[in-house]
Amino acid sequence: MRLVAERASERARPQRNHFTRRAFVAAAMAAPFVSGKAGAAGSLNAYSIWPENYARPMMEAFEKASGIAVKFVRFSSGEALARVAAEKNNPQIDVLFGGPVETFTAGQSKGLFEAYKSPSFGDLPSRFKDANGQWTAIADDPLVFMTNSGFLKQHNLQPPGSWDDLLNPAYKDMLQMADARTSGTAVTRIFSILQVHDRNEDAAFAYMKKLRKNIQSYTKSGGGGTLPVGLGQAGGGIFFIVDALFTRQKGYDVQISFPKEGIGSAAECIALIKGAKNADAGKKLIDWATSPDMQSLLAPNKINFIPAHPKVATEPSLAEVLKGAKIIEIDEAWAGSNRQRIIERWIAEVLNAG
Amino acid sequence: MQGDPLRAGVVVALWLLLGLFVLYPLACLLIRAFSDDGGFTLGPIVGALGNPTHLRALRNSLVLASLVGILGTAAGFLFAYAAERTDMSRNARRLIDFIILLPLISPPFTTSIGFVFSFGPRGLITHDLLGMQNAQVYGWASTTCAEALTYFPLAFLALRPLIAAIGGDLEEAGFSLGGSRWQVFRTITLPLTMPGLGNAFLLIFAASLADFATPLILAGNNLPVLPTDAYLQITGMFDLKGGAVLSLLLLVPAGLVFFAQRYLVERRSYVTITGKSGGRARGAGATAWLRWVLWAACAAVTLFILYLYALLAYASAVVAFGANATLTLDNYRVIFTEGVPAIKDTLIIALIGMPLGGLYGVIVGYLIARSRGFGRHMIEIVSMINYALPGTIVGIAYLIAFNDQPFALTGTATIIIACYIFRYSPTGIRTTVALLQQVDRSIEEASFSLGASSLRTFRSVTLPLILPAFFAGLGTVFIRAMTAISATIFLVSINWTLITVRILENMTEVALGPAAAFSVFVIVVVLGVTSLLNVALRRMTTLRVSSLGTAS
Amino acid sequence: MSNAPVSIALRRVSAAFRSPEGATVAAVRDVDLAVRPGELLTLLGPSGCGKTTTLRMIAGFQEPSSGEILIGEHDVTRLPANRRDIGFVFQSYALFPHLSVFDNVAYGLRVRRKSAHETRTAVAAVLALVGLGDLERRSPSELSGGQQQRVALARAIVIRPRVLLFDEPLSNLDAKLRVEMRTEIQRLQRRLGITTVYVTHDQEEAMAISDRIAVMNDGRIAQLGSAEELYRRPASSFVAGFLGRANLLPATVRASSGGTVTLDVCGAAIKVASAISHSLGERLSVMIRPERILIGPPGGPLDGEIVSRVYLGEKAEYVVQVGGALLQVIRADPPEGETLAPGARVGITLPRDGVQLLP
Ligand SMILES: Nc1ncnc2c1ncn2[C@@H]1O[C@H](COP(=O)(O)OP(=O)(O)O)[C@@H](O)[C@H]1O
Ligand SMILES: [Mg+2]
Repeated sequence: MRLVAERASERARPQRNHFTRRAFVAAAMAAPFVSGKAGAAGSLNAYSIWPENYARPMMEAFEKASGIAVKFVRFSSGEALARVAAEKNNPQIDVLFGGPVETFTAGQSKGLFEAYKSPSFGDLPSRFKDANGQWTAIADDPLVFMTNSGFLKQHNLQPPGSWDDLLNPAYKDMLQMADARTSGTAVTRIFSILQVHDRNEDAAFAYMKKLRKNIQSYTKSGGGGTLPVGLGQAGGGIFFIVDALFTRQKGYDVQISFPKEGIGSAAECIALIKGAKNADAGKKLIDWATSPDMQSLLAPNKINFIPAHPKVATEPSLAEVLKGAKIIEIDEAWAGSNRQRIIERWIAEVLNAG
Repeated sequence: MQGDPLRAGVVVALWLLLGLFVLYPLACLLIRAFSDDGGFTLGPIVGALGNPTHLRALRNSLVLASLVGILGTAAGFLFAYAAERTDMSRNARRLIDFIILLPLISPPFTTSIGFVFSFGPRGLITHDLLGMQNAQVYGWASTTCAEALTYFPLAFLALRPLIAAIGGDLEEAGFSLGGSRWQVFRTITLPLTMPGLGNAFLLIFAASLADFATPLILAGNNLPVLPTDAYLQITGMFDLKGGAVLSLLLLVPAGLVFFAQRYLVERRSYVTITGKSGGRARGAGATAWLRWVLWAACAAVTLFILYLYALLAYASAVVAFGANATLTLDNYRVIFTEGVPAIKDTLIIALIGMPLGGLYGVIVGYLIARSRGFGRHMIEIVSMINYALPGTIVGIAYLIAFNDQPFALTGTATIIIACYIFRYSPTGIRTTVALLQQVDRSIEEASFSLGASSLRTFRSVTLPLILPAFFAGLGTVFIRAMTAISATIFLVSINWTLITVRILENMTEVALGPAAAFSVFVIVVVLGVTSLLNVALRRMTTLRVSSLGTAS
Repeated sequence: MSNAPVSIALRRVSAAFRSPEGATVAAVRDVDLAVRPGELLTLLGPSGCGKTTTLRMIAGFQEPSSGEILIGEHDVTRLPANRRDIGFVFQSYALFPHLSVFDNVAYGLRVRRKSAHETRTAVAAVLALVGLGDLERRSPSELSGGQQQRVALARAIVIRPRVLLFDEPLSNLDAKLRVEMRTEIQRLQRRLGITTVYVTHDQEEAMAISDRIAVMNDGRIAQLGSAEELYRRPASSFVAGFLGRANLLPATVRASSGGTVTLDVCGAAIKVASAISHSLGERLSVMIRPERILIGPPGGPLDGEIVSRVYLGEKAEYVVQVGGALLQVIRADPPEGETLAPGARVGITLPRDGVQLLP
């Protein structure tokens, strides 16, 4: 755009003044109407499901390391996936970056991704990758219970140590957690509950219906409830550990605890978009993100994901929080094939039960 | 002028644009909603109507819009009556004008953010001030109040000239015939304001019906409404078709409101005609005690709005609201580093959309006011469609229509700019029509008779006379481009993103500071640009607008 | 452009509007009209008779639904207004409210790309001509009605149009100013020699200003002629009634011979000239101007009774009942001491040359 404007103004210089201005205005107006950015080898586009403040330092480090310019926008997982699906015939991006595995299995079933196995692929445990390389994990993110310390003290409560603790009437209308219609956090939570109930759906849903009575609000995004809990507007909720620790880092007085029955964890993944216009650059980003190169940058940037690559050590204070936590594995294949049905049941029986 | 080739060309071009950016997307939406494997089916819509969840959302939307309409109209009437019929000081009147302006130029969520902090178990007002223990912020009460606060300026702006017009002579005539204050109010003021009240109610009803942002934050779980549900259906359930069907449920009430409003506005004209002579007697309306009641009510609302905006400014300037009150410029640093692409994109889009929208508004307004027959009514109605429809419908329709060939515009700024122009220019159109109705047609004919072409006449006679409308159009398109979200949230892309969408992201990602900082930035920019527009308009119209029209 | 005055011709011109209900309303029907070069021709008629529509078709603001319009030799029927070289003075003046007096008047010159110097001189000259030399910086809203009228006039004539068109230009002025301005317009028109069509519904104004008057009724031209011709020899009861006041009375033919008919009017036998012969007993209608009727003492061939009397200084107006008819009578300079109260019996004389046979 700058080029066009310059050339136009050069041509116009000998003429009267307002011609220059007109040409410039015309060029400036025309620029945004020009669509398809050329797929230059040195650039790539991505949707990030990680929040801006996590994704940006990563992308900047990658740009520095590779010389590839990255353009990215942040969307919540549902929105990002909806966009990729909508753009299927005319992909706007090359890589879907970050976000819980269930988003990626959903995308996989819609045929949105291109299989690609990065050099680190072999090093990763099976939970952290699709066998065909449709997606690969870059970090792990367990769920936690987060409660407001002041609230606990006021009601004489200990931080919840069991799923049943959350059914305590003291929490009535005081829990916030994510809405399964938009949030991967919520889906992971629901599958955790199913897993804890040995996939006995009726038992799990009975529990969720009881829990519903204590819910103040289901939030659009996974972290949406962390601020209200931090402020004491809500007493507690179930969040990913990154969001919970971030809340604590900002200075809110919150407790983090785990249920003794166990709680699920979501692998944070990356995938190459089918039909990507900058597939080579996209593969380089995947290579870098799945390797220790990126994952060793998490701790210095105070990003509390657990590195997926076995060669990167978990940061000590994070490891301290996780000590004694029982993290259970969610069967991604089963979850992927039952996701839609379970969410619909959740909407009908839990969300709309209030 | 008759058979003018230029005008014919403009009309053809206009229809092409209206076809592409209004009718085509709507057709695509309808086709998507009513087709199944290539065949026509009512299945989805019947399914949606049979689905208790969706029916409940529809019912909630209608009830909420009605409540907000009543409350907002009442507040608007209160302010308008206080401003016009009591001897308020000049500064107080100025303050009211400013307060009224704020909600109109604020990004979405502004009121909602304030509500979330103020009410609820640890809310600044409910807990800290009133000592309540179990107050809840989510639900009917807060959503209704927040929306009423956001939209009552619409009622104020619609009612104020009316109340000014009814004042003075007409009421005095009533008093002179022996009517008591209450009788005069009941038999003269109220009946004459009735169509205006109806119009104000419908304006707010429509705004609330389409509001997506406030319920998203404040409705909680027990108050699903259609625009939010349609959005969640698409972004959460990856269900474009379901979202399309849900958004279509809004079509019927929105259409009814639109036509009801047209009917009222057409009928209302008799008030404005009689009103011309009556606007003198300011302050002749209220007794002392009534005046104090009015003032107290206005002051309470005004203070509350000021408090909400102070809260916003505060949240933008501290490390962590409620936990760490250390003052910091960090949030502003964030929006001026990470936020720069969004700011740049938004400004580019707003600045391009502004002149195009302003011009589109006066051209369409001109054609409506200065042509006859069937085509004119068609243009009038079609040009209002995108404005009358809730943003969610428009956004989804654009998303469906422009994703694929032959008009693959997804990812461009064009699609966002077009959305703004065709959705938010009706203000400019209506102002143009209203102004032109005051400008005697013979003024343009005088120009023709002196040898000027129709283009020259438009440029050197008509345009200067409708300059206020042009600027009104510029202002509205700019403000909406800076603050709207309901339609464009579906249209942002990797290449073009918007501040409002960033605000939503930040809101949902606990980054309250940057969300507040973005909001403050938007408000400051909009205030700045609209003031500049006002100054420019004043400079350019050396002759008073009120001297338009014919000598008498 | 030559300065010789041009003629204007309308040939079977009609105009139709569509009413809001969809019906077609004929506003002008088959009008034939020839305006002579340099003359001031007035279209006179009651409100709604189609004067404005006719004028707007000459101007080119409106296209005739049929017929053609010529200015000079040229058929301008399809020519847009801005290329007809006309000056139009509107009832509302239609001054550009956003332009100063000077810029209003200069507008047409600027459209014609006259040099700045030429424009200055021409505007100054024309403003002096209409007596507004010192007001050129004012905005129209700062002028009185009469001054606005002059600006409108100046704006129309400064471009030296071939045709000047006026649509009720004086109707927004008070009575005194009206008389002053109409004299001024006439003076200017004579001086510039521009062919002019002038629309008014005011018969006095029309008679004062015009070379010829075309009386319009219901979309047609009822009669065309000089003021005197129309007044003295109206071709129809409509023209008779519209121009001045008239008593229209039924008459029966008593005798008809060689260019004269003897009529029975209100019981009096009156002989009038007639070009055609009439059969005995034929019913006709005659017109008598009120000022031609003489009032005398009772006992003449026609007696009547005073119904009302209005004293107006220079004249007195009476309504007199004669037989079954009510006659309007005007008596110039009534004698002092005359006391014809209602109910008084008087004798009426219809002078023979004051009775006009209507077709
Ligand atoms: N724009 C119009 N639309 C419909 N009817 C019109 C219009 N202009 C004039 N008419 C009708 O045409 C007839 C003649 O109008 P006009 O020429 O304005 O009369 P005049 O100037 O003699 O008063 C009237 O019956 C009037 O109602
Ligand atoms: Mg007229």
